[in-house]
Amino acid sequence: MTSSAANSNRSLSKIATKRLQKELVEWQVNPPAGFKRKVSDNLQRWIIEVNGAPGTLYENERFELQVDFPEQYPMEAPQVIFLHSAPLHPHIYSNGHICLDILYDSWSPAMTVSSVCISILSMLSSSTVKQQPEDNDRYVKNCRNGRSPKETRWWFHDDKV
Amino acid sequence: MDLRLEMTQARCSDLAATSSFYRLVYSEIEECGWERLIWLSDDLSCLSFRIMDKKKRGHILEIRLDKSYPSCPPSIAADVPHIFNLKWSTNSRLKDVLRQFSEHLEKLQGFWDSLENIDKCLSVVGLEQQSHANSYRQINIGNDCCLILNIDANDPRSLPECRFMGSDHLVNSFRNKWRRNNKKWSKDQPLSVNLAIILETRLPGPRDAERDDQKFECGICYAQFLPTDEGFGDKSGCRTDYTCENANCGRAFHSICVGEWLQSITTTRRSYDFLFGNCPYCSEPVSVRINTKCE
Repeated sequence: MTSSAANSNRSLSKIATKRLQKELVEWQVNPPAGFKRKVSDNLQRWIIEVNGAPGTLYENERFELQVDFPEQYPMEAPQVIFLHSAPLHPHIYSNGHICLDILYDSWSPAMTVSSVCISILSMLSSSTVKQQPEDNDRYVKNCRNGRSPKETRWWFHDDKV
Repeated sequence: MDLRLEMTQARCSDLAATSSFYRLVYSEIEECGWERLIWLSDDLSCLSFRIMDKKKRGHILEIRLDKSYPSCPPSIAADVPHIFNLKWSTNSRLKDVLRQFSEHLEKLQGFWDSLENIDKCLSVVGLEQQSHANSYRQINIGNDCCLILNIDANDPRSLPECRFMGSDHLVNSFRNKWRRNNKKWSKDQPLSVNLAIILETRLPGPRDAERDDQKFECGICYAQFLPTDEGFGDKSGCRTDYTCENANCGRAFHSICVGEWLQSITTTRRSYDFLFGNCPYCSEPVSVRINTKCE
């Protein structure tokens, strides 16, 4: 596999490729409820449709997640962001970055794309207000150079939402 | 009649006194039989019924009633591969929905029989979580290869759509056999027999899978064998060689994978050649020796 010059990610390691193939099969056989992976041959970038769960603030809303896998997946967490337009949520920035510990410090190879998706949906579902994070504008401005959320030093100070 | 059902019925009966919509729903449930109702929302607009088919497989039918019911037909959902077109007229009632659903279930008996044959005779991945709606089966066919079948609900005994996953070499060989032999597919044979004929091999049974899965597959890279790669030194291509010592966990790993994981996080402690950290699954302490020659 060769990676194009435009693609800043290095191509997946053998271990990452094999593991992702298995995750993809598992996903196709048993996808998490409320999610749909857009058909694509790109194993390294998954685009996943999310449907807001019924009975929550996001009911009938549809979003898109972009999941990029690093060369050393699953030793390293995937990068997960919402594509435009991101849900209004106290832990989701308007540039799509998500403040959720398992995507950064608390990642473990025992997690999967599927379990990450479920965590994100559960984060949406438990929200009681539709509003941006308090520091949204400052944060988004700091990310203008295309910084990855994985380079952010996150504070997970609130686990209620 | 159990207590929960009695309470539902009582609540519904109280409501029936207050509006014509409630009265209608109450009487229509009565016709269907309270023992088949398993859930009812507070405003009586959502109902779930449990319906048994001829082979005693239980199915849940969810019905949603619009406020304009019965002039507007109810919407329905169920654990079936495809839902039927509800025939609805002004005289239709809930019992007609249940009857049409039962008829639909009968048409699908062959579909579920085919799937049951697969589940009983072959090594199916994730068997515990299958719903009646799922027409896909992932089947281990040995050597880290698997086959994904999609059974056609309308013609379940026909040659199913199929995909192979695994190493290129094996997958190609299976694909060739599939292409060469698929004319031998016979609708009179059970699916598991057809597969064995087409793939020219004895396929692993369900028992073989239990041994295979979590005991031998690495909880990190998901493979039984490491890739062959010089970087892994003498561990190249090796089987899982480390098991979490917590008896309740017992996940298998490649020591290389655990080592790489522990080296990638900051909480790991190191002493001489050993890394000390926690099992990614159960969080109990684990330690592995790392190959210092590779560094």
